Amino acid sequence: MVVASAPAALLTINDVSKAFPGVKALDHVTLEVRPGRVHGIVGENGAGKSTLMKILSGVYEKDSGEITFDGNVIDKVTPVESMHMGLAIIYQELNLVNTMSVGENVFLGRFAESGGRAGVHAKARALLDSIGCKVDTHKQVSELSVSDKQMVEIAKALSFDSKLIIMDEPSSSLTNDEMQKLIKIIHELKAKGIAIIYISHKLDEIFGFCDVVTVMRDGHVIDTRDVSSITRNEMISMMVGRTIENEYPPRPECAGETILEIKGISTRKLRDVKLTLRKGEILGLVGLVGSGRTELVRALFGADRVAGKSILLDGKPVEINSPKDAINLGLAMVPEDRKLQGLLLGFAVEQNISLAVLARLTKRGFIDTKGESSISDRQIKALNIKTPSGRTKIRSLSGGNQQKAILGRWLEMSPRVLILDEPTKGIDVGAKYEIYLLMKKIVEDGGSIILISSELPEVLHMSNRVNTICDGRINGEFDPAVASADEIMAKAFEFA
Amino acid sequence: MSASTQRLGGRVNSQTAINLLKSNPIFVAIAALAVVTSFVEPQFLTGENLNNIIRQFGTLIFAALGMTLVIMAGFLDLSIGGIIGLVAVVTVTLIDTVGQGPAILIGLSVGLGCGLLNSALIISSGALTQAESLFITYGMSLVYGAAALMYVQGVTQFLTYSKTSIALFDTINSGGIGFLSVSAMIFLVCLAILYVIERRTYAGRAIVLTGGNKVAARLAGIPISRSIVIIYSVSGVMAAIGAVVLVSRVTLADPTMGTPYMTQAILAVVVGGTALIGGRGSVMWTVVGTLLLILLNNCLNLLEVSTYVQYMLRGAILIMAIWLDRVKQTSVSK
Repeated sequence: MVVASAPAALLTINDVSKAFPGVKALDHVTLEVRPGRVHGIVGENGAGKSTLMKILSGVYEKDSGEITFDGNVIDKVTPVESMHMGLAIIYQELNLVNTMSVGENVFLGRFAESGGRAGVHAKARALLDSIGCKVDTHKQVSELSVSDKQMVEIAKALSFDSKLIIMDEPSSSLTNDEMQKLIKIIHELKAKGIAIIYISHKLDEIFGFCDVVTVMRDGHVIDTRDVSSITRNEMISMMVGRTIENEYPPRPECAGETILEIKGISTRKLRDVKLTLRKGEILGLVGLVGSGRTELVRALFGADRVAGKSILLDGKPVEINSPKDAINLGLAMVPEDRKLQGLLLGFAVEQNISLAVLARLTKRGFIDTKGESSISDRQIKALNIKTPSGRTKIRSLSGGNQQKAILGRWLEMSPRVLILDEPTKGIDVGAKYEIYLLMKKIVEDGGSIILISSELPEVLHMSNRVNTICDGRINGEFDPAVASADEIMAKAFEFA
Repeated sequence: MSASTQRLGGRVNSQTAINLLKSNPIFVAIAALAVVTSFVEPQFLTGENLNNIIRQFGTLIFAALGMTLVIMAGFLDLSIGGIIGLVAVVTVTLIDTVGQGPAILIGLSVGLGCGLLNSALIISSGALTQAESLFITYGMSLVYGAAALMYVQGVTQFLTYSKTSIALFDTINSGGIGFLSVSAMIFLVCLAILYVIERRTYAGRAIVLTGGNKVAARLAGIPISRSIVIIYSVSGVMAAIGAVVLVSRVTLADPTMGTPYMTQAILAVVVGGTALIGGRGSVMWTVVGTLLLILLNNCLNLLEVSTYVQYMLRGAILIMAIWLDRVKQTSVSK
């Protein structure tokens, strides 16, 4: 007999492991999900959440262990089979056909058995109504908002009579109102006895509407607890494996005379931008995407052609016509897009690290490969980069470790001016903190940093001085210790 | 453990060789074809035929070795067809005026000049994609081919009609010490130099980094333009060496004689396992790829397969090689 308070598990994951070359993505993971519960799964990037979901949906095959769903042992399933079994996954990037209508998407590939055109739209209408979604089923999916697309995905899941719906970071592109709508629907689904696995980075959501939470780290399940019996700090320390008192280290002390002075940079986007940077300073650059913030640092670094540029380094005019010139003058840049502009994905970690000092490692045209290995080993150790070895392809590392390797590349040349464009984008809390500590160390050793970030708190906590940039012009300067976030944002939006 | 040779992509040791055979059915298929041919056509294993194979290896391998660096950097060079024709006619027509040695040197310089011109065009047009380099060098191939045709008025130049000595060409074609022919020695020297450049030098690393990610490499201070100059110069010179070897063997120079080599060279590189998208590969594997390709042609000829079917098979192999590389790549990345 089943006791009402503890319904039998709908999904049982028992001792499941999965390894990729060089990484143990899942290490003896055990987990139970019960019907009518919202089961949150939290963990940093690379904790194994996505791998686990992909095994459930049949994208990956597990190496060992057992999975039981709704009384059946799942061994090898294809994504389509898992849908028919009643296990639906709603991916972050959503899997809809943009050029088809809402109704057609809900019953994709099942038109005939759903009663043709009319049947498809009628049934889709009923499903959407059941979750309170008003979207016209004849509308093309490309015209929908992200939130409505999610509703279509949920309707699709319901059309399979899904017993379990997995939502992979559904809130990442939702507005507040849309989020409230989603929460309402989650409660309705729950009331119907459907189990939900809710994967998220955001602790507010876990505490907001999840019943149970599982914390994962480094491929292990750290603990599964009732949400009511866990505190926020407990959860964070489980996620990162240590206690974090603060998200940011104390602001570094600023000292020093002016080291870099931009007398003027003009491009198609930038209008005679002026900027100064002092020794040992972290200068925050706040602006919207498209404000010219990235163009400015790229122009400074010699990455793009400019209409006019006048730069003083140590009070002397310098010519920077290519990144190579910039590097020779002691400038370094961690670019905005890690994968496209920073990494050489197909290459070993050590080859990624040695990049900026490769010329120095070269004697009479030949590369000193021993020196290369020792440099990379030193950085791997110093920055605590998690990699099986320096020879491992950087592709297989997590985002945070890849970013640390790029930082290692530049630290090896002890840059005088380090430009960081979105240095913590897409990396987890623990690695973020390590990067903040590194920034602090760099300026304490006499380097200077220009920091661009879309995360305002990051800029406010780390910078000694903040400049706002709007429509290709520097339009404000603030002391982040005194100025409020609202003030700075208003200036960046040019509302003030 | 041979640490130093393991650094870059296609490392060369016995274990990888086994893995490669497993993961590269093209190798196995061609080897199987050779075995079958040797049974069906006893002619296959005669000294004459093996000699024939080695001779055909001669011209193609030089063009393919040069092409390897170009492809490793993520570019293509279709101009080698034109370069081979131009170098051949220039070399042969100059023998009587400047002598055989200087004629060969001028021929090689023409190859270098063509390569430099290619790189200048690519750099100045800001072309950074493989497709752009393909179209530019294809255009240049037409230019070089037309220049060769204009230069000799479309007339084939016979080496044997030369009034002065052509002993050097005879030596290249048939001379040798023991079983090492002169052309084989030239090949080994070129291979050794290119291999060292590829594995040990800054220039070689810069080339493969360029192929890996041009944007990231440039932002880290790797000079992309210099890599472009090097790869096209090497490709031009290697095509020119191939042209001289070819002229020595067939004893004539024709403006269009290089045409088949531009696609064959790319085929040899890709069958050898160098990634067409760049960033990975080795001249060593190109040697294997070239050998397999020539073996394939030879077997098909002996088995009296029609030329048209042979063309079709070559196309199929190129597509299969690229497809297999894709599969290999996607299975590695998670």
